[in-house]
Amino acid sequence: MIAQRLRFKTSSPTQFVDITDKLREEVRNSGLRMGRIHLQSLHTTVGLAVNENEPLLLRDFESLLERLAPTGAGYEHDDFARRFEIALDEPVNGHAHCRQLLLTGFATVLVENGDLVLGRWQSVFAVELDGPRTRELAVQLDGEFGKSSSPLSPGAAARSVGGRRAGGDVGSGTGPDRELVELELARQLLADPDPVAVPMRRLVEAGGKRLRPRLVQLTAHIGPRHDPLRAAALAAAVELLHNATLIHDDYVDESTYRRGRPTVAAAEGPERAIAVGDFYFAKATRLIAEIGNHDVTSTIADALEAICAAQIDDVALRGGYPGDHESYLKVVRGKTAALFAASCASGAQLSEATPDEVEALRRYGDLLGVAFQMADDMVDFSPSSGKPVGLDIRQRVLSLPLIYAAEDKEVGPEVRRLLAGSLGDAEVNRVTDLVRSSNALKRVGDEARALVEGALRELEAVELDGLRPTLVGLARSAVDRDS
Amino acid sequence: MTAQALQIDRELDRLDGLWEDGLQDTYKSYLAAVDGYAPADRPRLALAAALIESGLRLQGLGGRAAAAAPLLMGDLCLARASRLLADHASQTLQVAFARAIEKMSANAASGEAGGPVRDFLVLALESAR
Repeated sequence: MIAQRLRFKTSSPTQFVDITDKLREEVRNSGLRMGRIHLQSLHTTVGLAVNENEPLLLRDFESLLERLAPTGAGYEHDDFARRFEIALDEPVNGHAHCRQLLLTGFATVLVENGDLVLGRWQSVFAVELDGPRTRELAVQLDGEFGKSSSPLSPGAAARSVGGRRAGGDVGSGTGPDRELVELELARQLLADPDPVAVPMRRLVEAGGKRLRPRLVQLTAHIGPRHDPLRAAALAAAVELLHNATLIHDDYVDESTYRRGRPTVAAAEGPERAIAVGDFYFAKATRLIAEIGNHDVTSTIADALEAICAAQIDDVALRGGYPGDHESYLKVVRGKTAALFAASCASGAQLSEATPDEVEALRRYGDLLGVAFQMADDMVDFSPSSGKPVGLDIRQRVLSLPLIYAAEDKEVGPEVRRLLAGSLGDAEVNRVTDLVRSSNALKRVGDEARALVEGALRELEAVELDGLRPTLVGLARSAVDRDS
Repeated sequence: MTAQALQIDRELDRLDGLWEDGLQDTYKSYLAAVDGYAPADRPRLALAAALIESGLRLQGLGGRAAAAAPLLMGDLCLARASRLLADHASQTLQVAFARAIEKMSANAASGEAGGPVRDFLVLALESAR
């Protein structure tokens, strides 16, 4: 059992403070593998709640509390003339106490495999009802403890430096290689100013597949000069660059969620999102420049340019939504495949692989990136993905299943008619059903798998020294997935 | 002064409108700052600096956020500048420019007024000379 206190400052009278990340960090730092984390408010005007962190919903909650226990509604608690032994700074806060009665002062969250057991949309909130103040929660963790497992917490990072796991597969990107990237990400984010680091840390800690850094690290084994630390530095910079582009994309697409958490633009406003994206764009390019390999710098710079140009094309194409196969490929090659290809090529360049090997790996990455995006498009139609079905349709994001469904003789006319109008829930559901009932998803799946086979053929000419099964497995799993 | 005459027209692919719309003047203003660099590199280094300044202005960094289209054009300006620097600048200058953008965007994220973009970029050019 571990007992501690969680302190935080609030900045407004009523405030839903999302403490999920802090709790995750506590669990990781403690090494708790299976058990529970218990929380108890140490105040009579702070409640606890588990709900969705959606900014407009939080305003709804605030309005609800105001309706149920309005401020200044003549609470007897606020009649100081009738109370005994009141402090000089006693606040007028009868409403806050009444609101706390509507919430709870206690919460227990289960912990499994070293992480909180929360549904996709669940966040844990400390609810300030009489702020701004400094607040405190009592926290107890109990259950089975193992080794601390947080790659992103500075303390854990320091602990794991000397802790390379015996039997870890250097080539797979799941053992020490992966740890090195997480350490490097943690190290870089630790050094940055909070206004930019906090939003980026939230995005990085939310997970992501880390495919691009894995590709960098894997291909950095190809040539004669393998330096795991330089490879990890490049891999982390590529991941930061990728996340920087996502932050701007989310603002452009008006997305409110990414990896199950509010986007930077939704949580902190578009001005902050632009600044955070710019900061990490610049920082990532600096980190890559500091590696000192001109070919690597040039490869990543080319990819970045391709991504930005494709993003402009993508937005322009939304006028003729859902577009056609040719324009889809043009956008996807830039938006997604360019950084996959650059990750593969730059890792190989870092290891001083031959130009033929670099080009073969670049083609592997390009084909894999396109296939990956096609699989991603299919996830939008999968009810078991954990993501809201039809989100791409709602946001009019370029999607190959939609393009194929719109071309379909049977469902095509209705799909095109629906997409041409405004898209409410009924229309999105109908389009989703039409796509599922057509052979569009099968066509996209077949095409993605064919691209993966093409990608794997590119590897045949490369001496992979035991890495082939990993690269093959990574390519196939990028397509055969449900999330 | 046309971009073609300056032999930088190839670097303006998809940005042609910007050249007439202020990028040309911004470019001219950086020519003095690149004086100490190799003559062959000067046009592209001045253009890289001008693209960064124009890109940040298009995005609305430090002010009101731009709409989607100008933001993306701003992103492309920054990416183009990054590629120009990767191909034509020393590692020292690449790092100096990146640090300047980091400083300006950190200021913007903190709500601090950080001074004109041009001052940061001219300083970067001078420090890496």
